[in-house]
Amino acid sequence: MIWIRRVAWAVLIPIVALGIFAPLIAPYSYDRQFRDDAGAAPSHRFPMGTDEIGRDRFSRLVYATRVSVLLAPAAAMASILLALAISGLLKYGRSAFTTVCLSLPWLFLFIILRAELPLNTGPAVSVALTFGLMGVAGWAWPARVFTASIGEMKQSGWLMQARAAGVSGWRIATIYAWPHLRSIALAQFRVLVPAYILSEASLGLLGLGVPDPLPSWGNLLRDLQHPEVVRSNPWVLAPLGLLMLVMLCLELLHSRCEVAL
Amino acid sequence: MAHRLSILLNLVAVVLVGGFAASALVRFSPGFDVDENSWNPKFSAATLEAMHRARERDNSLPRFYLHYLAAAMRGDLGQSESLKIPIADLLRERAPVTGRLVALGTAGGLILGVFAAWAAVWPRRMGLEILAVSSGGLLLAIPPAVLALAFFFQEAPLSPAVALAVFPRVFGTMRAILEDLFASPALLAARARGTRPSTIALRYVVAAALPQWVALLGVALVLAFGFIIPIEALCDVPGIGQLAWKAALSRDLPLLCGLALIITFAVASVQTFGELIGSKA
Repeated sequence: MIWIRRVAWAVLIPIVALGIFAPLIAPYSYDRQFRDDAGAAPSHRFPMGTDEIGRDRFSRLVYATRVSVLLAPAAAMASILLALAISGLLKYGRSAFTTVCLSLPWLFLFIILRAELPLNTGPAVSVALTFGLMGVAGWAWPARVFTASIGEMKQSGWLMQARAAGVSGWRIATIYAWPHLRSIALAQFRVLVPAYILSEASLGLLGLGVPDPLPSWGNLLRDLQHPEVVRSNPWVLAPLGLLMLVMLCLELLHSRCEVAL
Repeated sequence: MAHRLSILLNLVAVVLVGGFAASALVRFSPGFDVDENSWNPKFSAATLEAMHRARERDNSLPRFYLHYLAAAMRGDLGQSESLKIPIADLLRERAPVTGRLVALGTAGGLILGVFAAWAAVWPRRMGLEILAVSSGGLLLAIPPAVLALAFFFQEAPLSPAVALAVFPRVFGTMRAILEDLFASPALLAARARGTRPSTIALRYVVAAALPQWVALLGVALVLAFGFIIPIEALCDVPGIGQLAWKAALSRDLPLLCGLALIITFAVASVQTFGELIGSKA
């Protein structure tokens, strides 16, 4: 269903562009406070109103898109690289260490790692650490797939022939094995990106993700904990809407689209 | 037999590695080496030095790990730093709340998954298939915590929220299992013989798919445990998830690591059970 994918790309590309060009699109900085207009309703000046300390909700949403949409693929890339490295090192299928990481709910693993970090980290470092830890904590899922694939490869005739011909390990990995693993890596990347976007949202809701004043979809969703705010300004649902839209588009890109629409 | 033994050995290895990781995190947590007696003016420098040396000897990682594991086997997981209550007592108090939520949510998610997968595969009606796939896709796009908040503000029970979060994540696998079964020669032959649909459903589908669905239980449980933390924390449910969240906020590492050990053991046991059922089939 090529047209479904085209629609998904048509929605995703402007959202990613919104994130990349956030400083050009957002009318104000994400942390600029308009103290006389705290909690203001949507208006010409503030299209989505302001939050309780007078920051423009629209500007914060634009910058949040930048954080959530651009850093999740970076974390997914880190997971893939780490998984590839560990899978290459594992000799005998699934190790107990991989199984431990797969047995422990990753959010739990993440909050343990997060609790180990110093308290006085700045917002930028904290964002890098949040997504960096996601990348580190999420290696086990792709590693399982890579390990299985490498295990199959080790039994293959072409690899034995290459070894017998004296081809070096590095050359086997880059010239022979990587073309086989590339499609798996791409598939795992597509699975991890939405998973990390959703995970950041869950962490942000808990106050363990990207810290204030830097906005992310997760920490903007914290307004949903106050139904009276949602009732008075439905624009607080905009981050949820954008998140769902991106998730649906990523699913459509990833799915086999078997339904005969 | 050898395969089953290796599955059980894997469980033991998982618990040992999990315990080691937990004890290493506690051992190397910030402030672990700080002894409040070092500020006590009553102790002489020589006494303090002797105490420090004894503490260093006892706290070498292998020794600490053995002590931690031995104590854990006796049910002693240490004491929470922030709450000043034994971790075992906290778990005993909160485990039933989380257990109920996880069990109902997982069961609900699996049942929903079975029905939706069945609706997508069996009747071959496009409307049903689109409904099942699109509802799964839509639920997959909503953070489980937001889903739970919607239930919480309506004063509805939270287990359906957990079920709705689990369902789309198991739906794809369940659908794939059913698709394989419906295309199997045995089922096609039964259909050609004119076997009643209810008999086909029970004998050729449910009986054949059950072991694989049971194996999915482990995955569903890991998912449900993951969703429990934000759901309990945001919806004020006094369970293990809320305890983990509070421990993370107060940086209570002994409590976090005790929880990690228990959860790893519980989830690995369920996964092992699923694998054993699968290997039996």
